[in-house]
Amino acid sequence: MFLAFQAANPDLSFSLIAPEAIVSVAGVIVMMVDAFSRRGQRWVTGVLSIIALIAAGIASLWLWAAAPLQRAAFNGMIVLDELRLSFTLIFVIVSILTVLIASVWIEGEKLPAGEFHSLLLFATCGMMLMASAGDLVIVFLGLEILSIATYVLAGFRHTDVRSNESSLKYFILGSFASAFLLYGIALIYGATATETLPGTTNIAAIAGRLDQSLYPPLLFAGVAMLIVGFGFKIATAPFHVWTPDVYEGAPTPVTAFMAAGPKAAGFASFMRVFLFGFPIATVAASTSGYAHQSWVGALAIMAVLTMTIGNVVAIVQNNVKRMLAYSSIAHAGYALVGFVAAGAASDPLERNSALTAVTFYLLTYAVMNMGAFGIVTLIARSGDRRNEVDDYNGIGFISPVLGFSLSIFLLSLLGIPLTAGFMGKIMVFSAALREGYVWLVVIAVLNTVVSAYYYLRLIIVMFFRERTEAWEPPRIPASVALALVLTIVGVFYLGLFPGRVINAFNSRPAISLSVR
Amino acid sequence: MNHLLTILVLLPLIGAATTLIYSFTPGARESHHRWIALGFSTLSFLVSLLLIQSASGNIASFRLEENYSWITSIGARFHLGVDGISLWLVLLTTLLMPISILSSWTAITRRQLTYYILMLLLESAMIGVFISLDLLLFYLFFEASLIPMFFLIGIWGGERKIYAAVKFFIYTSVGSLLMLVGIIALYFIHQRATGIATFDYAILVDTLRSGALTISPRAEFWLFLAFAFAFCIKIPLWPLHTWLPDAHTEAPTAGSVILAGILLKMGTYGLLRFNFGLFPNAAKQFAPIMITLAVIGIIYGALVAMVQPDVKRLVAYSSVSHMGFVVLGLFSFTEEGMQGALYQMLTHGVSTGALFLIVGMIYERRHTRMISDFGGLARPMPWFSAFFVIASLSSIGLPFLNGFVGEFLIMMGAWTSTIVRHVWIVTMLAGTGMIWAAVYMLWMLQRVVFGTKTSEANAKLSDLNAREIGLLVPLLVLMFFMGIYPSTFLSRSRASIEAARQRISSPQSGGVNIALTERRGSLREQVHHR
Repeated sequence: MFLAFQAANPDLSFSLIAPEAIVSVAGVIVMMVDAFSRRGQRWVTGVLSIIALIAAGIASLWLWAAAPLQRAAFNGMIVLDELRLSFTLIFVIVSILTVLIASVWIEGEKLPAGEFHSLLLFATCGMMLMASAGDLVIVFLGLEILSIATYVLAGFRHTDVRSNESSLKYFILGSFASAFLLYGIALIYGATATETLPGTTNIAAIAGRLDQSLYPPLLFAGVAMLIVGFGFKIATAPFHVWTPDVYEGAPTPVTAFMAAGPKAAGFASFMRVFLFGFPIATVAASTSGYAHQSWVGALAIMAVLTMTIGNVVAIVQNNVKRMLAYSSIAHAGYALVGFVAAGAASDPLERNSALTAVTFYLLTYAVMNMGAFGIVTLIARSGDRRNEVDDYNGIGFISPVLGFSLSIFLLSLLGIPLTAGFMGKIMVFSAALREGYVWLVVIAVLNTVVSAYYYLRLIIVMFFRERTEAWEPPRIPASVALALVLTIVGVFYLGLFPGRVINAFNSRPAISLSVR
Repeated sequence: MNHLLTILVLLPLIGAATTLIYSFTPGARESHHRWIALGFSTLSFLVSLLLIQSASGNIASFRLEENYSWITSIGARFHLGVDGISLWLVLLTTLLMPISILSSWTAITRRQLTYYILMLLLESAMIGVFISLDLLLFYLFFEASLIPMFFLIGIWGGERKIYAAVKFFIYTSVGSLLMLVGIIALYFIHQRATGIATFDYAILVDTLRSGALTISPRAEFWLFLAFAFAFCIKIPLWPLHTWLPDAHTEAPTAGSVILAGILLKMGTYGLLRFNFGLFPNAAKQFAPIMITLAVIGIIYGALVAMVQPDVKRLVAYSSVSHMGFVVLGLFSFTEEGMQGALYQMLTHGVSTGALFLIVGMIYERRHTRMISDFGGLARPMPWFSAFFVIASLSSIGLPFLNGFVGEFLIMMGAWTSTIVRHVWIVTMLAGTGMIWAAVYMLWMLQRVVFGTKTSEANAKLSDLNAREIGLLVPLLVLMFFMGIYPSTFLSRSRASIEAARQRISSPQSGGVNIALTERRGSLREQVHHR
């Protein structure tokens, strides 16, 4: 019967959603294992989820290598291209690192490991769906799966007031943003209806309908709503206000995850919706032309605001997690610079290489950010108490491994050559320069100098000051050590030999544009 | 020996790795790290001597080139090469490194492992700066050299080390990041014009020279500015010099030696190599401004040096003055001036390096650097005083010592330069800089070395020990040698300097004039030629 169904509707292709399927099934299994297994075996669910994530990674690599001719399925709901697959790999990497880093914390705080791991897997599934969505409805679906799991994760330490506050804030403001997004989708659905055809939410189809729209103002309102919704999810100014509180209150491994994973997922669908739903128009003075110009212009302004606010406010933070939260806002700003370049590019090849630049940037950010937060988790100790800059006083030479590793991550976040952060910045800035955004790049570069101040501050505190009170270096468990080794190797590999990764991300530039 | 340059970059890195691995072996002693560092830096120096052999051909083109693909997707290559200009700067680097390490022997007692690893990492980055022929690779080394120095100042520095380290870092990175924007912009301009995506300096110069790529005057103006800004901060050219006195004063002795001796030369080297090579028209356009700033720097540096109560700060400000001469020589666009500028870079490295070492030695004994605390050191410390006097005279530019040759050639070049009108005013003003140098140096010597002893503590100071004499002697020998036989150096750099000059005078002419490269001769002939 199943085969008959598939024959009747040949657009069903389960192999195309293999990574998502693996992760979501694994999430259910992990939950079951947790319910029926004896206590004291916390590592079981962790190992299971890592295996599932690796399997999902292999599945997406297989999709990449096999490169099936069919580039879309489920009536255009799911697409398959380099944009999706490279983001899927980023999510897999982020989630594996989160599991590794979180192990010490779950162990120390006696928290339910199974719930944590299954929620993480569901969140990963949501992120993957956001990257693979060819339709606004799937974007929303993925976003909600991701968000609901993340709301719970943020409040995972339910006895801690700050964690509760973080979760509640994230939930209320997040729902608000989701509503914006949904409203935008609805408006666009209405605005793309023509006299003969009903409206559409298919991203590729929207692009074709823009100039036939009967109600252009409705369309513009929809675009604005979408920008607000996505802007909230990737924490760009002026929709960033929730970030510091939520990041500070959430358990550190969850913060690490939120800054790297969901942000990248937000970028994945933000870019797909706007680059392929509202692409550059052949005629500038048309509805599609106005829509394109206005979103590119809005994003350029948002990029400037985001970078500047993130970096300037980070300077005055005394809490390391809060500082890294503002730093993550700033990094979203740098990534937006590349996004703007991709939006402005008229040549599809240039657009794809700008897209690759942003993807690569988010990969480098994920790696160095996870590393930095891994060390912050260790230093914070149980209860997440020791997060002030003063807690880092003079620890560099007491625990050289942690001190120098954290310095490497901070220098990479700053964008010093030899590290991943440098190559990421080079890619994004050159994409923007190619499109002639010299002013934007100069602002970004000056922002980098501003950011030197607070990244260096932590290094200064660790190495250039002496410790006055006693400090016992934390024990580094094997799982965290593995995460640190992976991220340090990643930072230098991406910083010195990024060629292969960039080529792979850019290998088959034909982003699917199948209109159905 | 085809991989000589890669070996030179890698040797210090291998040294750093060896030091690190050694520290994990059972029975490792902290006092052994310095031996490993000294061994590897000496080895680097010996290996770098092989470069002279290869440079004896006296041709302008790059030699010992190594060119491998690096990041294919953006066309960046691992391209190394050395010519008559970079040859001497590499040698200066490899010479000053073992000396600096030896000077830290007893001065650095805390965290020796980290210290010597950072020194070796720094050496590797600095060598890389002088021999990279790919703009992205150059930027990589240029910026990477910042990090070890930041740590050196911040961990082992003086009282205001944090302030100095942060100021040093932020100042220099503002400049270099804007240069990065310039590098990428140039990359795209080149790609638009020729369809080739490359950061390769040699290719860029070739396409510029052949006329396949013409940069619009406006773009060239901004590109020149972006590059020059980075280099002028590094030099440092007045009024971008304010990071220097702080960094030099707060850095540990070896850090000051490297800062003054090598890091500052990255700036002038960058101007000579990249600004002249890539943007010759803008260079001509900017010459009057650069010359004016250089002359202001010469006089300003000297005047401020005169009133410093701290010996180290005095030497630091004298660097501003001396580096002003280098910029003046470069922008005179004459062979004498540019040769003199290169010579002055080497001279300044040697004599200011020696001065910082000497100041470090007295600081180790007395824990003060205030001029007023000293006086009458000649009696208890004859060796020290002799060395101090010679190094100071070399810095002043006394004939028969190295400082004279460079400054004389620069003045010569400035006098004959046609790039600015009323060139005699410039030369006269710069000439007063030499007089001021004599004033502040001799006055300082008189108060510190001679004069009456002001404190009982000075009478009991011990003279230099064998290690300290040993590390100063090579520099002193070099001061005399460079003062008496400058042609040893100048004859090997002439062809490359001449090529750089020709880039400016005729931006779109073909390769180097062969007839000129064949010319050899002593300094006197060269001067008479004009």
